[in-house]
Amino acid sequence: MVPMLEIGRLTVRFGGVTALDAVGLVVGPGEVVGLIGPNGAGKSTLFDCVTRRRDPDDGVIRFAGQDVLARPPHLVAGTGIARTFQHPAVFPGLSVRENVMTGAHRFGAAGFWRAAFARDGERRLRAHADRVLDLFGLLGLGDHPAAGLPHGVLKRVEIARAVAAEPRLLLLDEPAGGLGPEEALALSGLIRDLHRATGLTVVVVEHHMEFVLGLCGRIVCLDLGQKIADGPTHVVRRDPAVIAACLGAR
Amino acid sequence: MSARPATGLRAGTGHRRPAVGQYAGDRRRAWPYPRTTLGAAAAGAVAVPFLVPPYPLHQVTLVLVYVVALLGLDLVTGHGGLISLGHGAFFGVGAYTAAILLSSGAPYPVTLPAAGLVAYGLGHAFGRPAVRLSGLYLAVVTFAVAVAVPPLIRRLAPGGAMGLPVRTPGAPSFTGLDDDQWVYLLVLAVAAAAFTLMRSVIRSSLGRALVALRADAGAAELLGIHPSATRAHAFAWSAVYAGLAGCLFTWTTGFVAPESFTVTLSITLLAGIVIGGLGTVSGAVIGAVVVTFLPAPGLVSGLALVLVLAVAPHGVTGLVRRAPAFLGRRRP
Repeated sequence: MVPMLEIGRLTVRFGGVTALDAVGLVVGPGEVVGLIGPNGAGKSTLFDCVTRRRDPDDGVIRFAGQDVLARPPHLVAGTGIARTFQHPAVFPGLSVRENVMTGAHRFGAAGFWRAAFARDGERRLRAHADRVLDLFGLLGLGDHPAAGLPHGVLKRVEIARAVAAEPRLLLLDEPAGGLGPEEALALSGLIRDLHRATGLTVVVVEHHMEFVLGLCGRIVCLDLGQKIADGPTHVVRRDPAVIAACLGAR
Repeated sequence: MSARPATGLRAGTGHRRPAVGQYAGDRRRAWPYPRTTLGAAAAGAVAVPFLVPPYPLHQVTLVLVYVVALLGLDLVTGHGGLISLGHGAFFGVGAYTAAILLSSGAPYPVTLPAAGLVAYGLGHAFGRPAVRLSGLYLAVVTFAVAVAVPPLIRRLAPGGAMGLPVRTPGAPSFTGLDDDQWVYLLVLAVAAAAFTLMRSVIRSSLGRALVALRADAGAAELLGIHPSATRAHAFAWSAVYAGLAGCLFTWTTGFVAPESFTVTLSITLLAGIVIGGLGTVSGAVIGAVVVTFLPAPGLVSGLALVLVLAVAPHGVTGLVRRAPAFLGRRRP
């Protein structure tokens, strides 16, 4: 079976600092993988490479067998990768619903002339966005400007926008960051439901250990740009190196 | 599924919406007034030429001309957050395209698509390389266009610095209308079509993509939005609107001269859309009134601009939309 995400020898250097040092990672279809590690371990940098926001100095990234690094960033979404950011990158000039509709941008008409007469397409996009909003309990906020919503809601809006793109691989960068314990629990339940319903592959970067332990079947731990552990959750959580690097430090 | 988040807002109710324009949320409300109001406005607009004497009618026609130009500018500036200092030049090129065709005997309906086409070509030629870099480069490149076009027209276009008088569209005899009434109705029809098209475009994927790019180009790109292609496309269509407006200007005034399309026109258009309200369709209408009636550049108009922006940082449209909330707060 072709792995969903296949990363080999991924190396990123910032000046003299090696953010990622020949990291390899294989994620199978339908897996939910937690990516943990202390600050500066290179977790977000890895996401940045997979989504083409950053060019690695060395290494290969394959998504469902295709070379990701050969594509410009705006074509990554078309292959079926979606991500969220550590600080929610929600578009403040748009309503919550429009944000989610932007997630489905690749399904709509973007030329001026076609956009001017795309009534049916707009209606379909809107219905699609409303289904996703409903799933995330955001339907009532659909018309609200995305500016001025609380952090927890913005996190949710951003994940909804990523899901609206109908990805096969969802990269979540600290989805529980800044959430209260109840909100985090609800979000984890939501992602689990989504995974169960669609068979989506998920990679989660998260510091919130309960969130990761509850959600992920497998955990990969990075420290100072190197992979120090990779295995089933119940094994990795007892790994002394992992405990020293992140669990013990908390 | 999970509980609804506690946002402090009653979901689905018509809560206050103080933000407008580029900060507004639901831009489906591009025209926030009911359909009946829109119908009444349309009826009023059609009635204007039969109620208003010729010279004021000429001015109202010019307002409609500038509405078209500002609708285009607003796509790029209000929604895209890019500054164009070249729309006066696209306007002028459209006007001259129409004037040259008219003076060589072409029927006037041909001049409108021709002006749009020429402006589209220019918009693509200058916008595509400029938007690749960043918003400021677009401002500089378009400024260069605005500075270069009037001397080029003076040198190359028929009439030179003296300008080029042309015949304006004449009313067909069966209508029994005066020529200026006919021109008004023609301009109104084009402006209404331009308005309707733009309204659906800003509510479409393209409009959302522009706003998304302005807010966070990196995140937008990951959703499949091609930043430079989207911006260049929007810029080219924005130039089309300016070119069409230029053609309507020629129909209205029957005279074009290079001095009408200097960089001052570009800046006046930009000031007009800022004063009217960025990112709102009604802002284009108010801005057009400002552009038409703004006194010649000088101390008075400068101070007036500063005053308006001090009172209404989101433009007149923003002021009008915030008024109910403001007055409501004063009530005991």
